[in-house]
Amino acid sequence: MTLDPIKPAFDPVTWAIPMFVVTIVLEIVLGRLGKAKATYEAKDTATSLAMGLGSTIVGGFTAAAIAGVSIWVWQNHRILEVPMTAWWAWVAVFFLEDLTYYWFHRIAHERRFWWASHVNHHSSQHYNLATALRQTWTGGVAGTWLLWLPLALIGFPPAMIAIQKGISLVYQYWVHTEAINKLPRWFEAVMNTPSHHRVHHARNPRYLDANYAGILIIWDRLFGTFIPEDEKEPPRYGLVHNLGDFNLLRVAFHEWMGIGKDLAGSRSIREVVGYLFGPPGWSPDGSRDTSASLKAKWRARESAKVAGAPEQIAAE
Amino acid sequence: MEDLYILIGSAVAVALMVAVAAWARIARPIAALDPDSARTLLAAEFPDHAPTRTWIAADGAGLIARAGDQALVLYRLGDSWVARTLRWEDALKAPVRAGKVCLKLRDPAAPVAKLAVSGVNPWPPETNDEAIAA
Repeated sequence: MTLDPIKPAFDPVTWAIPMFVVTIVLEIVLGRLGKAKATYEAKDTATSLAMGLGSTIVGGFTAAAIAGVSIWVWQNHRILEVPMTAWWAWVAVFFLEDLTYYWFHRIAHERRFWWASHVNHHSSQHYNLATALRQTWTGGVAGTWLLWLPLALIGFPPAMIAIQKGISLVYQYWVHTEAINKLPRWFEAVMNTPSHHRVHHARNPRYLDANYAGILIIWDRLFGTFIPEDEKEPPRYGLVHNLGDFNLLRVAFHEWMGIGKDLAGSRSIREVVGYLFGPPGWSPDGSRDTSASLKAKWRARESAKVAGAPEQIAAE
Repeated sequence: MEDLYILIGSAVAVALMVAVAAWARIARPIAALDPDSARTLLAAEFPDHAPTRTWIAADGAGLIARAGDQALVLYRLGDSWVARTLRWEDALKAPVRAGKVCLKLRDPAAPVAKLAVSGVNPWPPETNDEAIAA
């Protein structure tokens, strides 16, 4: 059997579109019947789905260039010959692509330039299957696709990488739901699940910057970014500073506009670098909150509660 | 051509899903704010602030609370809430247009908050409370 190393034999995301539609309708109907935990707000849903559709259209403009670079690296600079028909090659690309996704996703949250592209995916205050489709319009411009080039450099054919990326995206779709609580312990230990990903979408300070996994949660456990969902503190979804309306252009570009505004007011190279590549919320005087400062304040409040508890008991 | 068909099909599917979501009416229940729910919401959104006085919009869809020299602003969006802060002085100076106080939030993500004002619930609040005085 031969497989085209350049043109993917199929696109898992395109194949999954009918499944997306059926499962979203199913989640809504089950929510309506009270058989599953699901909330949908019509304008929020329209925004999420329009962002998904827009992402497909906008992505089309950059897809050829991105694929072209990957093909060029593979054709001219690959180190090894990785056969597409070997089972071990698929196992290897599964793990390596998932590891790449983890670091892409971590950078996309922890550095503002890339957060500007990814933020829209987190801008819904709902967590449902439609939220999964709220995708970026500026991923190609942000350049995070460069992180996948080392796979082509190693020798994985571009078609193989594209298929595995698609499989990962389709896997990540179903974890965007409140309808599924916790899965068997062995599964929660290894795989990204709705519970783990709810934490990732939460804006509660304790949950910020956690669970970056694509398919395997093992990377978060390995690199120290895993936080389990605590039933005593349900996730509150959305952004630390939520969007003020449902305007699609605002959803897609608000952080880029914020960067532009900050750069226009910058007074030094340090400020320019900080506003571009510092953590989201970075400011020269520390007057804005970052995830780290929000977590520190949360810890201080928790410590104060613990310290105050014995006094309260004594008073009672 | 195949891509175009997929795109058209996707657009039709989006319209269908939005229609089903609207039909289902499974948004979060969200009631007009009263003093108790305002306190709860403020505590959740501004855990490090200690609001001393709270003005609730005439339709219960927003509030402005004073915490020191800051105004804590909350307003409803769909079935959720949006929170921002601005200088209390700026909040006091915010104009009222078409029955709504228009607060400039200076944030590309949420440029303006518009909260309903009524005759019995004017903005700025008519009070002798020194907490309100700028």
